Amino acid sequence: MKETLMGNDAIAWGLIHADVEMVSGYPGTPSSEILGMVQKIKSKLKLPVYAEWATNEKVGFEVAYAGAIAGKRTAATMKQVGLNVASDALMSAAYIGNRGGFLLIAADDPGFHSSQTEQDSRVFAKFARIPVLDPSTPQDAYDMTRYGVELSERFETPVMLRPVMRVCHAREIIEMEDATDFHPKEGKFVRNIPRWAAVPRDGRLQQGYEALDRIEAIAAYNWAEHLKPRFDALEGKSDVLILASGTGYAFTREAMEELEVEADLVKVEMPYPLPVEEIRKRFEAYEKVLVVEEPYPCIEEQVMDPAKVHGRLDKTMNRIDEMKKEHILEAFKKLGLYEGKNIYAPKLTFSIDVPPRPPALCPGCPHRDIYYAIMKVFKKSKSIYPSDIGCYTLALAQGAIDTILCMGASVSMASGLSLADPSKTVVATIGDGTFFHSGIPPLINAVYQGHRFILVILDNSTIAMTGRQVTPERFNQTLDIGRIVEGMGIKCYEHTYSHEMHKNIDFFKGIKKIFESEEHQGPLVVRVRQFCILDNERKDDWVPGEYAVVDPELCVACDQCTTVYKCPPMAYNAEGKIEIDPFLCAGCGGCLEIVCPTDAFKLDEEKSGGKQ
Amino acid sequence: MKYQIVIAGFGGQGVVFLVKVLALCAGNRDLKFLGTENHGMSQRGGAVSCDIKIGDFSNPVIDRGQADLLIGLDANEALRNLQLLKEGGHVVSNAQDPFPEGLPFQVHTIDANAQALAGEFPIQGLNVFMLGVTLATVPDFPFSIEEIETALRQINAKVADQNIEVLHHALADAREMGE
Ligand SMILES: Cc1ncc(C[n+]2csc(CCOP(=O)(O)OP(=O)(O)O)c2C)c(N)n1
Ligand code: SF4
Ligand code: SF4
Repeated sequence: MKETLMGNDAIAWGLIHADVEMVSGYPGTPSSEILGMVQKIKSKLKLPVYAEWATNEKVGFEVAYAGAIAGKRTAATMKQVGLNVASDALMSAAYIGNRGGFLLIAADDPGFHSSQTEQDSRVFAKFARIPVLDPSTPQDAYDMTRYGVELSERFETPVMLRPVMRVCHAREIIEMEDATDFHPKEGKFVRNIPRWAAVPRDGRLQQGYEALDRIEAIAAYNWAEHLKPRFDALEGKSDVLILASGTGYAFTREAMEELEVEADLVKVEMPYPLPVEEIRKRFEAYEKVLVVEEPYPCIEEQVMDPAKVHGRLDKTMNRIDEMKKEHILEAFKKLGLYEGKNIYAPKLTFSIDVPPRPPALCPGCPHRDIYYAIMKVFKKSKSIYPSDIGCYTLALAQGAIDTILCMGASVSMASGLSLADPSKTVVATIGDGTFFHSGIPPLINAVYQGHRFILVILDNSTIAMTGRQVTPERFNQTLDIGRIVEGMGIKCYEHTYSHEMHKNIDFFKGIKKIFESEEHQGPLVVRVRQFCILDNERKDDWVPGEYAVVDPELCVACDQCTTVYKCPPMAYNAEGKIEIDPFLCAGCGGCLEIVCPTDAFKLDEEKSGGKQ
Repeated sequence: MKYQIVIAGFGGQGVVFLVKVLALCAGNRDLKFLGTENHGMSQRGGAVSCDIKIGDFSNPVIDRGQADLLIGLDANEALRNLQLLKEGGHVVSNAQDPFPEGLPFQVHTIDANAQALAGEFPIQGLNVFMLGVTLATVPDFPFSIEEIETALRQINAKVADQNIEVLHHALADAREMGE
């Protein structure tokens, strides 16, 4: 059957067609749609599949891994930085192995499109000593998903599938199986204490030896199944050999075609483990070897021969940021494969000034108002604002955030900052999703050690930034953030977002008083109940439908609204007055009060249906 | 056939919807199709562009100087992506002001926002409107009006009639513009 699929959808179908029965993961761009799609297929075909979001990646990994120990076919999905969180479990699982196939899907993001780091999960697979597959297109992703599950079962080891953003979010018409019948395996935990509960030193050392043998056997298998046939088919077209993996292969193939470059090209589907000796032997027929891969030199480091091998390490290729065909053209030039002109040079010889469109919170997003209120009450000069990872990170544009590290770090950094600079009030912000993910242990730490800071939990009841996945509390209301905080023996101050700005400001004024009072000790936690404007289930209960217009007589072009409030519809018009783009205004009414010092924002009576 | 299209706009304008429509058109004719999306962290209002490659390609990204066609749902986003066009390529954009003189491309602009403001079509139909303008102005565009209509019906039968109405509205407007 032919179907136009996004890479992530193709992976989801691959899992179903590989009879994978448990999928557990944590959202993160570019991986999030995989589990979402498995859920859709599950309900459409009424399959007995477990497909749920875990509280974080470590939990997701462990749930799925345990299923594979009990003989089911399972998978865990996450983005590359999520693998950092799951890595403790991964490192040990690589020693112990599994019975049912276990596919770890870690999606990479060369080019930092929506990630804090550009780390390469293939290198992580190598570190953990598990095989990794690197698809170059959605079709590959579908095929390799199925293959990876089989491989995992055959060698009883976790296998990693490492798609990059250009595979996850690529769309292609792919060929896949029609069958929708599903053959789940019976889950049966077979007690084997020396294996599943191996302890240091002897138990784990023994498993370490086995893991080494296993990875050697897989390297040999990689040679026999994948690489040898490809090397054998080479025609000796030039004295340069190109090894390429994943998108690197796709980029190289196109560049060779477009530049009419002839060279021997080998696609590496499994970048680790590599049969290094066999590969090096084949290098003998060539003068130079070029490795094209992203984002880190994973293959290159394994097959390194300084006299011959070129790539990222010797700067023949770009060392950081997403690959472009232009980089390959440059590499071809350096290696003498191409002498023509740069066909990827821009055709426009002059530059056109286009105003930047920096990332911004949605029009009408309540995060904006809460940050505005926090900054009004806790002045910048006297405060430090550590924050976290989520849509609210975009409040950077309002100047409302001082530090960003990784998920959950706002709370522990608030501890550290409050200890290091007690002259400032530390006001930390974290989303509800991130609080559940990794904000709870550092808050326990702060309570038990009595650190003095304010933590504002921005509870919009969704994991918005990654496409609005459910939070634990949304799914099951017994998991109440307030009660979790109170379980730590401290009060959780509650506020409900209001589009009348003075109410938000008044609330934080009250909080400031309490925090500064003699009686208060340790951290002060606030939960703000709010919404996400893209959350169709909830938004109508919150958005008042109050659209704004600007009175040009009153606007004095003071820049207040475009610097500390910053709602995207607000921009200067040709007359130098702020104007609201009627197509963008969400009718949240948030700017109608206080934001403008001259009160130039007025209710658009007609559009707001005469609401007051 | 090989044809490369960039669609540029900002989040919420329905750029990805057009990608899906064109993917269906390609699939219906058994042409190979590869596409990819470029967007940053914002959910709404951030810059979004999509690369579409129809024909025998292996990688979805369009490099500078390669695109045959650039469809701009927003003028600034079209201008931002001009570098991707090949010499003599077409740019079809929603724009209030004319594009700079002396571009090495074939430029077609139309003030679609003004028309939406005047109530001629709902702003949610801007994406389909610009596709209509493209059909009317770009002679080497790989799909016919009928093929687009078929795809619009396949993608969402419920709103297909409204979408097709917007499409024809745009076709009529663009032809007038050409006269
Ligand atoms: C370890 C890790 N996992 C996943 C992500 C991807 N990610 C970015 S923001 C975010 C969560 C945002 O949810 P929330 O804190 O509720 O804030 P909101 O976006 O709803 O404002 C996630 C999961 C990440 N950056 N790091
Ligand atoms: S997606 Fe929701 S939470 Fe994120 S910026 Fe938009 S309104 Fe705010
Ligand atoms: S009412 Fe004001 S704050 Fe709300 S979306 Fe419109 S312009 Fe933005």
